[in-house]
Amino acid sequence: MVPPRPALSLDHLGCVIAILIGVALFAAPFATYRATRIASGDSRLLIEALPIAMGAVVALVALTIAVGAALMRDPLGRLGSAVIGLAVLLPSLGLSAGYLTPADNTFARVSPSVGFWLLALSFSLLAIDALARMRLGPYGRIAALLVGLIALALLLFSGIWDDLSILKEYRTRSDTFWREARQHLFLAFGSMAAACAVGIPLGIAGHRLKTLRTALLQGLGIVQTIPSIALFGLLMAPLGAIAASVPLAAALGIKGIGAAPAFIALFLYALFPIVANTIAGLSQVPAAAVDAARGMGMSARQKLVQVEMPLAFPVILAGIRIVLVQNLGLATVAALIGGGGFGTFVFQGIGQTAIDLVLLGAIPTVILSFAASIVLDALVELAKGALA
Amino acid sequence: MIEIEHLTKRYGTNVVVDDVSFTVEEGTLTVIVGTSGAGKSTLLRMINRLVEPSAGRVFIDGEDTRAIPEDELRHRIGYVIQGYGLFPHRDVAANIATVPRLLGWERRKIAQRVDELLDLFQLDPAEFAHKFPHELSGGQQQRVGVARALAARPSLLLMDEPFGALDAVIRSKAQDDLLAIQRRLGTTIVLVTHDMNEAFHLGDRIAVMDQARLLQHATPAEMLMHPADDFVERLVGTAERPFRLLSLAKVQDAIEPGEAMGEPVAISDSLHDALSRLMWTGRDALPVADARGVILGKVSVGGILQHGRPLP
Repeated sequence: MVPPRPALSLDHLGCVIAILIGVALFAAPFATYRATRIASGDSRLLIEALPIAMGAVVALVALTIAVGAALMRDPLGRLGSAVIGLAVLLPSLGLSAGYLTPADNTFARVSPSVGFWLLALSFSLLAIDALARMRLGPYGRIAALLVGLIALALLLFSGIWDDLSILKEYRTRSDTFWREARQHLFLAFGSMAAACAVGIPLGIAGHRLKTLRTALLQGLGIVQTIPSIALFGLLMAPLGAIAASVPLAAALGIKGIGAAPAFIALFLYALFPIVANTIAGLSQVPAAAVDAARGMGMSARQKLVQVEMPLAFPVILAGIRIVLVQNLGLATVAALIGGGGFGTFVFQGIGQTAIDLVLLGAIPTVILSFAASIVLDALVELAKGALA
Repeated sequence: MIEIEHLTKRYGTNVVVDDVSFTVEEGTLTVIVGTSGAGKSTLLRMINRLVEPSAGRVFIDGEDTRAIPEDELRHRIGYVIQGYGLFPHRDVAANIATVPRLLGWERRKIAQRVDELLDLFQLDPAEFAHKFPHELSGGQQQRVGVARALAARPSLLLMDEPFGALDAVIRSKAQDDLLAIQRRLGTTIVLVTHDMNEAFHLGDRIAVMDQARLLQHATPAEMLMHPADDFVERLVGTAERPFRLLSLAKVQDAIEPGEAMGEPVAISDSLHDALSRLMWTGRDALPVADARGVILGKVSVGGILQHGRPLP
């Protein structure tokens, strides 16, 4: 018989989280103060970054959670304490920005520093670990994601973070931000849709013809190995030539730099997972089901639509998940050749050594990829469950 | 009636089915039996043109199958395979409805037919119609596979090792069920197996194949008494022969006048069963009764044993 686990015992991940919290509180600055957006920063410890009472509350909550994380087993309790931690920590960053910024000073910038990031990381780890231990179903995971996104939206709209430098960067660029957001989504989702439109039929053809399959997988596999910048470069010359010789193409906005080569490069990267997963999905359809379909007089088309595609769907969807997460990240690089997207802010920020501007591009990209992977993972699981 | 004429299949120089001809009468069950690789599945699949013959023809009720569009031909022929090939993404009702849906039957007629078939195969529609194949036992899957093949009331049913995946107890029940349903519906069946017992149990006629050729096509009794060659004789099993003969004969064939003590045997029982009862009870003879229990005479060990060898 397995002896019952004592209610209080050391949890390995919890210990790591507790140590992280300790380091964040006592050995790392909470926020960085800069006199201007590109000036070098001054680190502020937690006690300096917040009014004394508020700082004490944050420290106390964080310490309690550290002890809880190390000793408490109940996943619901762990999730609850992580949520409380984030609910205290995230607004406190906004308060710190207001506290540190001298009144009427529009040049000063306050941004989160190592301590804040470590605390946010610790609490998020604790929450994610608790959610994983609770073994949420696909709907539960999507619901948890929605709750997180709604909380984030509330924080943004409440104005509590308005004094943070990243939001100051946003306010001076709110028009371009949403334009680049649309461009980013267009590049990622548009190239994914195009890759599905081309890749799924190619995969079906490759499933039927062995010679085509080998050629496709090898050819697209080679494309995968070309670094993105190099692929952009490779596409510039032919697209530039097309733009120069075909007026219609130029009128449609196809040229050597800009969105066209970025779109095409993302499309080419996306083809491999779509084609490979379509082939893999079709080849794992039970041979007996295919034989029965033929034996009962289904035409080739009926067999494909009614039997093979529905059974291959979860695997194809898994390919789409790979592509979407990959595209959302890769689309950032498109900005290098004038393709737009969130990468615009990242590269501008690097050019100006304005780290907050980098974050303005990077954080939405991370959130998008994270959300896309959770939603599509849940969809893959639902599709598999429907077949089981 | 199916007439198979000089059917041949070659892959390159490899002959898989070599000039096979035989006729399957309306409403009978023919078993194609042979070792693996003998070409029996290929022969079966040439009947519904899943495999195109290299030479030879198949006539169904006098109609050359090559004159019928492939899909239309298969809509008219039931097809059951080993492993059943149920569609895992469709529930039992939708699986059974496959061919009627392809034929464009109206929804109500399909639903009615599905319920009818589930009843026929002793699967309660309320419980089973909306289950998925993975929720069924092997025996239930097998029944759904046969029900699906019969959905559009085909007059011909092709079965390729339909009981191969079942354990012994469920298999013999499934075989009996198939015989009962075949008698009730009058469906013509061609069934492929490598199991000689199954062939003798089910077949009105047996076609023995070896190395692409048809060695003998005969009734079970003929095959036992006059095997065409050594291979058939070995396949039939020399030691098993008398017992197989007794399995094929009925008590009716050996009934004698007179009286005997003990629990009566039924007139419709096989002589094999009757002999087994005699041996077990240690008696020389037992009374014979008809279905209503009326004593008609007796059956004796000596009388039965005469049926275990070819009659002079």
